[in-house]
This record gives sequence, structure tokens and C-alpha cells, in this order.
Amino acid sequence: MGILEFLETNSLSIWLNESPSIFAYPTLLALHTFGMAFLVGTSTAIALRMLGFVPGMPLAPLGKFFPIMWLGFSISVVSGTLLLILQARNFLAMPAFYIKLLAIAVAVRSMRLLWARVFSDRVSAGTGLVPREAQVLAGAVLISWVVAITAGRVTAYIPSQGLKTAVAVLISTLVLIGGGHIAVRLWRSTKWAQQGGAPTSTH
Amino acid sequence: MEAFFTYILRWPIVENYFTANVWAWPLNEIAHFIGLSLLIGTVGMYDLRLLGFAKDMPVACLRQLLPWGVFGFILVTVTGLMFTTGIYYNIAVEPGEVLISDGFLQLKLIFYFLAGINLFAFYRTGMSRAVGDLGPGEDAPPLAKTLAGASLFFWIAVMYFGRLIPFGQLHL
Repeated sequence: MGILEFLETNSLSIWLNESPSIFAYPTLLALHTFGMAFLVGTSTAIALRMLGFVPGMPLAPLGKFFPIMWLGFSISVVSGTLLLILQARNFLAMPAFYIKLLAIAVAVRSMRLLWARVFSDRVSAGTGLVPREAQVLAGAVLISWVVAITAGRVTAYIPSQGLKTAVAVLISTLVLIGGGHIAVRLWRSTKWAQQGGAPTSTH
Repeated sequence: MEAFFTYILRWPIVENYFTANVWAWPLNEIAHFIGLSLLIGTVGMYDLRLLGFAKDMPVACLRQLLPWGVFGFILVTVTGLMFTTGIYYNIAVEPGEVLISDGFLQLKLIFYFLAGINLFAFYRTGMSRAVGDLGPGEDAPPLAKTLAGASLFFWIAVMYFGRLIPFGQLHL
């Protein structure tokens, strides 16, 4: 019996796979969702701060949210490992699964670098803009999460459907970013118009 | 009236959109997950700060992140309504039947409304204004802490029962 087969057929896996209890497989899936929410949510907030949103937010207290992110990461890894074991032969044969792992690795590595470059230094962890390198890392984190979530979800579908979904995600993301950009600009220009013209000092 | 509800619950526009595009259902799921992460991330950080975590963070700064949470909320609500009104495409069951038979969906909706009432109470009791200018090191009033804790609990419950919806009936 191969190792993959053993992983799927030991008594824990069988219970998790076959038990009708909601505390077996369904709760494992829910834990994977909690982990994702805290991991992706917290790191996204940190990345947005790096990219220039809320520039007045002090970095030192923001750094205190890193443990929340790592807690989410731990929950994701533990629940994800169990979910993998349950269908090891299935997942390990899917390219999308490796793309997901790679994207997570890039995001996690970027967050660790961000911590080292921006947050670990207590003296400079004040307010204001961050180095260009930190902005690139933050961009890498956001792109990686969209890739990881997309690749993770399409493991439930046939490859051709997954590919089409990936294209749809790409187009929707670009439309949302472009649309958001235009909406923010319009909103700002109407606000300036109400206040009597756009400020000239910014040019 | 009943005919209207039957029609709007199984809304042909949504069902046809799913039927016509193989990428539509998984795209909807991905958008739901991204929205959920934005919502839980920003609201969770705000609630944790009110509860006393990372107390040197001014509350006003975290509040400036909340529009991203609102965007996440719009994403999950729109995609969630699309799952419901287009469910027939996925499992060939009338949405009305799912609503009256799936206990997890009902529990999720209950906690979703409780989270909404909680948010309403946060504004109505003046707690929103009271915490608005909390600076570094300042403690939120006890009522604000209670509401923040309730908010975290309700949203986690929404996520939990939401993930259980495909498993339908209760099996404890």
C-alpha cells in the first residue's frame, strides 16, 4: 500500500471523510475558511496601508496584528493538511493545487520580508510613506491572494472550467480596479467642485 | 404574492447567467471568499482594537479601512443572493425549498441579521461616536467592548454556518 493510499485510508481520514457529523468534514472546511479570512483579511489590510491607503496609520501598532495573521495561517495550514490527506491522490494530481501552494508561499514570504523591512524596526515604525520595496511586496501579497483563492477554488472543477474561471477572475479584477480608480477620481473631483475648484498645490 | 416570491427567488436572469457561463458559479464563489476576507479582516481588526488589542492604534485609523470592509460586505451580499436565486443551476432544487429546509442557511441568516442589529445598536447607542476619537492607549467604553465582541462572534458564526450550507440538514 502506497503512502498516499495510507493517508486516505487510515481511521482518522475515514472518520473525517465519512462521518455524518457536522464536526467532521464540514467543520474542517469551515476552519479552513476562518484561517483564510484572518490570514488574507489581516495581511490585505496591512498591504493596503503599505500601498498608501490610510497613510496616517502608525506602523508600530499595525505590526501587532501580524500574530493574528499568523494565527490564521496556522489554522489554514493544519486544516488544509488534513483536507489534503483526505484526498491526497486527487489533489496532488492537480496543477491548480501546486499553483495555490506557490501563491501562498509568495504571499507568506512577502509578509515576512515586509515584517523585516518595515515593522521589526521599532524606531522607524512611525507614520507616513513606506519604501518603494515595501509597496512592491504589498502588491505581490494582494496578487498572490487572488491567485491562491482562485486556484484553491477551481480544484473543485474540471481543468477547462478552472482555466475559464481564472480568465474571468483576471478580467473582473481589472474591471473592478479600473472602475474603482475612476469612481474615486470622480468622487474627489465633485468634492473639489463643491469646495470651489481643485487644489492647485498638488500639481 | 406567492407567485412573485417564487419568481424572484428563482430569478431567471441569475439562473440563466450561471447556465450560460461555465465560469460563472466558481467566479461567484471566489468573489464571495475575497469579499469575506475583506469584511472579516477590516471589521475584525476594528473589533479587536475596541476590545483592547493593539491599544496604541488610534481607532480613527482603523475606521478609515472600513470602506474596504463595506466593499467586502457588498461583494458577499450580492454573490450570496446570486447563489440563492441561482441555486437551481447548481443542485436542481427550488430556492424557496432550500430556504425552508436548510437549517444551516437559516442559522446563517439569523446571525447575519444579528450582526446587522448589533451594528445598528453600535450607532444608535452613540458608541460609534464615543470610540471615534480614541487615541493611542485609550480604552473603549464597556458597552462598545461588548458590541465589538458580539460583532466578532456573529460574523464568525455567519462564516461557520455559511460553510455548512451545502451539508443541508443538521446531523449532530
